[in-house]
Amino acid sequence: MGSGYRIMAIDDENIVGKMIKANFEPDGYIVEVFLNAKPALERLNEEKFDLVITDLKMKDIDGMEVLQTIKKESPETKVIMVTAFASMDTSIKAFRGKADDFFAKPIKIADLKACVKKLLDK
Amino acid sequence: MKVVHKIIIGNALAIISIALVAVFSYHEFNLIQDKLHFVEIADTFNASLLKMRLSEKNYFLYGDKSAVLRIKNELVKNGEMIQSLKFNIIKSVGRQEFDKLLGFFNNYKNEILKIETAGSPKSMEADVRDAGHALKRFSENITRLERKKVNKIISASRKTLLYFFCIIIFTAIAATYLFFSKLFRSLRKIEKTAKAISKGSFEKINEKISNDEFGSVMLAVNSMSEELQNREDQLVQSKKLASLGILTAGVAHELGNPLNNISMIAQTYLTLYDKLPDEDRLDYVNTVLSEAERIKDIVQDLLDFSKPKGKDFNIASLNSVIRNSHRLVNNMLHVSGIKSEFDLQKDLPPVFIDKNKIQEVIVNLETNAIQAMSPGGMLFVKTRYKENDKYITIEVKDTGKGIETEYLNNIFDPFFSTKGTEGTGLGLSIVYGIIEKHKGKINVKSEIGVGTTFIIELPVYTLKED
Repeated sequence: MGSGYRIMAIDDENIVGKMIKANFEPDGYIVEVFLNAKPALERLNEEKFDLVITDLKMKDIDGMEVLQTIKKESPETKVIMVTAFASMDTSIKAFRGKADDFFAKPIKIADLKACVKKLLDK
Repeated sequence: MKVVHKIIIGNALAIISIALVAVFSYHEFNLIQDKLHFVEIADTFNASLLKMRLSEKNYFLYGDKSAVLRIKNELVKNGEMIQSLKFNIIKSVGRQEFDKLLGFFNNYKNEILKIETAGSPKSMEADVRDAGHALKRFSENITRLERKKVNKIISASRKTLLYFFCIIIFTAIAATYLFFSKLFRSLRKIEKTAKAISKGSFEKINEKISNDEFGSVMLAVNSMSEELQNREDQLVQSKKLASLGILTAGVAHELGNPLNNISMIAQTYLTLYDKLPDEDRLDYVNTVLSEAERIKDIVQDLLDFSKPKGKDFNIASLNSVIRNSHRLVNNMLHVSGIKSEFDLQKDLPPVFIDKNKIQEVIVNLETNAIQAMSPGGMLFVKTRYKENDKYITIEVKDTGKGIETEYLNNIFDPFFSTKGTEGTGLGLSIVYGIIEKHKGKINVKSEIGVGTTFIIELPVYTLKED
């Protein structure tokens, strides 16, 4: 299905990354998980990823900054923003920052999968 | 007794003593006047007597017949004078002396009258001379005595007036001292309580309330203090509800993460159930349990914070209270783009505290610190204890805009706020009150553009506090 696509998950909650990995790897995606934004951005410099799932609020760097950096460095990489606290405000911000999609916690894995598939199959 | 009554009584006493002095002086002056009047009469009488004795001598020595007539004239004149001034003389020397005088006078008069009827004047000479001499001596004697009495009265009056003066001055000073010392004592009590109230500690005047105007003021101050306390309690509760609102938003976000974790694990568990090895299944379920625990803790913290004031003093670990408090502001830190650094000294001795209250203090100080900083700021929380010290020190430090030196003295005052309409000005006064109740100390250091540090000292728990 998703054979070969590289996905990066950034969230300071390690379970989020772990579950994304557990759900996406069996479908053939290559998943790398980061707890902090800084090492994630460094890794993105080294290698191209097809899609990044990032939390909006993290300890070291704000998710919006991560989004902007990715869109500047490699515009073709899709970005899905996730936040624990869904509000109109944060979602508008996310789309203004050119995020490809926006998920509120708790994440429905089936929806996330469908979204990733749709974004990568375009 | 009311102050106004005391003043009236004081004035009345002053008027009475002045009146007493006046009455006394009036009486003494009258007495002196009488005596002087007598002395005046006596002088005239003595002068007249001298004339009579002179005529008497002329008669016996030269046989001057007209001399007897002159004596008789003088006697009539003096007799009339004695009778007309009888009242004044008695008043001055008393009836007894008057009678004696009259006796001597009449005796002399009789002897003189006898001259006319007696054949040989020479046979009368000795009797007349004796009677005249006795009258003169007696008259001069009482005159001298009365003069002496006048002097005595004057010097006695002078002394009495001096005593009066001393007594009045002494009484006035003593009464003024007693009156004002009580007045100032009452005023000081009121002043002390008013100052305490202005500092936000709603004390009451505990001493016996007197039944005067100060008593009324004290009662008014006490009821004002009580009323202020009630109002402050209400304000504190509403302020707490307001901060609870802010905290709840943060906590909702905090809950979002463990809920999402549980949800994602459960979804994965359901979809991948067949493919999951046993240890993964176990791991998933354990993670769900620990995430549920995490939710429970957050909810507990929130409950503790919103709990109305209760005096739950227990032995506690300060570091764990600080960590729990921090969970409540964690989200605020994220939202505001503030980083935090914790430097909690290990192996702190226990403290005897109301956990919820100290948690409130930490949340309050951290919230203030966060609000004082712009994104990129740093919040430092530090605990320190040196062996054998009586206090543990907590430092909450920010890299915010700092507080103007002129405000530093006021920041713990109730209703003092540098946040304008956004703050109630109660946060720090509540913090201050809580630390006071824990017999601790709170201080603040601040530098404009560098940041502010709040330093709390809490007493270490020792057995005797039980």
